[in-house]
Amino acid sequence: MTTETTVDVIDKVLGLTPSSPLLALREQRAKLKHLTQTSYVAALHPADPRNFSYAERATLAARMAALWTSQELLTHYRDLATMEGASGDVLSIADPTWKPEDEASRLAVILRHVDLVTKNPKAATRENIEKLYAAGLDDRDIVTLAGIIAFVNYQVLVVAGLKMLRDN
Amino acid sequence: MSDAVHEFTLDALEWHPYVQPVDLQQATPEQLDALKVTPSNTKVSAYVLVLAQETEMLAERSPLFNDIMYSDGGLSRGGRELGALAASFVNHCIYCAQVHANRFIQLEKRPEVVDEIYQNGLEADLGEYDQALFNFGVDLTAHPDNVGVYQFYHLRETGLSDLEILDLIHSVAIFGWANRLMHTLGEPHRKD
Repeated sequence: MTTETTVDVIDKVLGLTPSSPLLALREQRAKLKHLTQTSYVAALHPADPRNFSYAERATLAARMAALWTSQELLTHYRDLATMEGASGDVLSIADPTWKPEDEASRLAVILRHVDLVTKNPKAATRENIEKLYAAGLDDRDIVTLAGIIAFVNYQVLVVAGLKMLRDN
Repeated sequence: MSDAVHEFTLDALEWHPYVQPVDLQQATPEQLDALKVTPSNTKVSAYVLVLAQETEMLAERSPLFNDIMYSDGGLSRGGRELGALAASFVNHCIYCAQVHANRFIQLEKRPEVVDEIYQNGLEADLGEYDQALFNFGVDLTAHPDNVGVYQFYHLRETGLSDLEILDLIHSVAIFGWANRLMHTLGEPHRKD
């Protein structure tokens, strides 16, 4: 697989080396660090990607990183998207200002949901889930999408907090 | 059926999903395996059965959640609940807030802290230590792109160690995750 499973993504994007004090601190919570990494693989490169390709997952993650101006994660996810073979419209997903031409398309509906739940989750209602069903997503697709959004937002927060520790 | 609850409350709630949960009778071996460890080690809830639609993620998420909230040492259990509560207030996850506000009260025996948060929300006026934890939870949740020396200084001033700050970061971040599932995939109803 192209998604590296042995290199800890958060260590990598923060540029932590074996001598970094923050790496030693993270190792004090080795179990959750490991499970954060396995959750990353489950969200970005699961054994069965089903209706969300690896490329699409990586570009959605890049878009969320861009929405939060998380530069480190944005760079990582753009690279990952390229490695996963993203091209054309799928590659454009990473740009939060980009919209598909067909505003009623599956992708357009998904992107509106990603943007809302990333930046303003409190505004989400049942109606937003109804829109996903109307665009052709099934129960599992909706849970998959929610899981990808939720994981990447968790990762953005962890990276932001760790950066604060690294730099102060 | 009781009406959905859209205001913060400490009353007992039950969560009603907008999407179809996995039917336990028809669950696959992988789904049953992922259901073994559930967040907070409670019985299999509608919430977990919804998440079981995506087994691979659930299997990692449940033990991650438990380790973040319940691991030994570091930040107190109550401190982690306060981080969870701050995130849930920003993200308006009524159900998450209710569960973790009540946990905080059980653990800390200081209902006045929760009362103040329920009264004044993000403007809550708390004691110095609680205020530092709560404000950090609000700031990290609302503006992860604007957390830095200011927030760090306040946490350090209250005497938090690096490990305690790390635990606080994770307890807030895991609710950036949980709130985005619970608040978007269903809604709470008052228990009859």
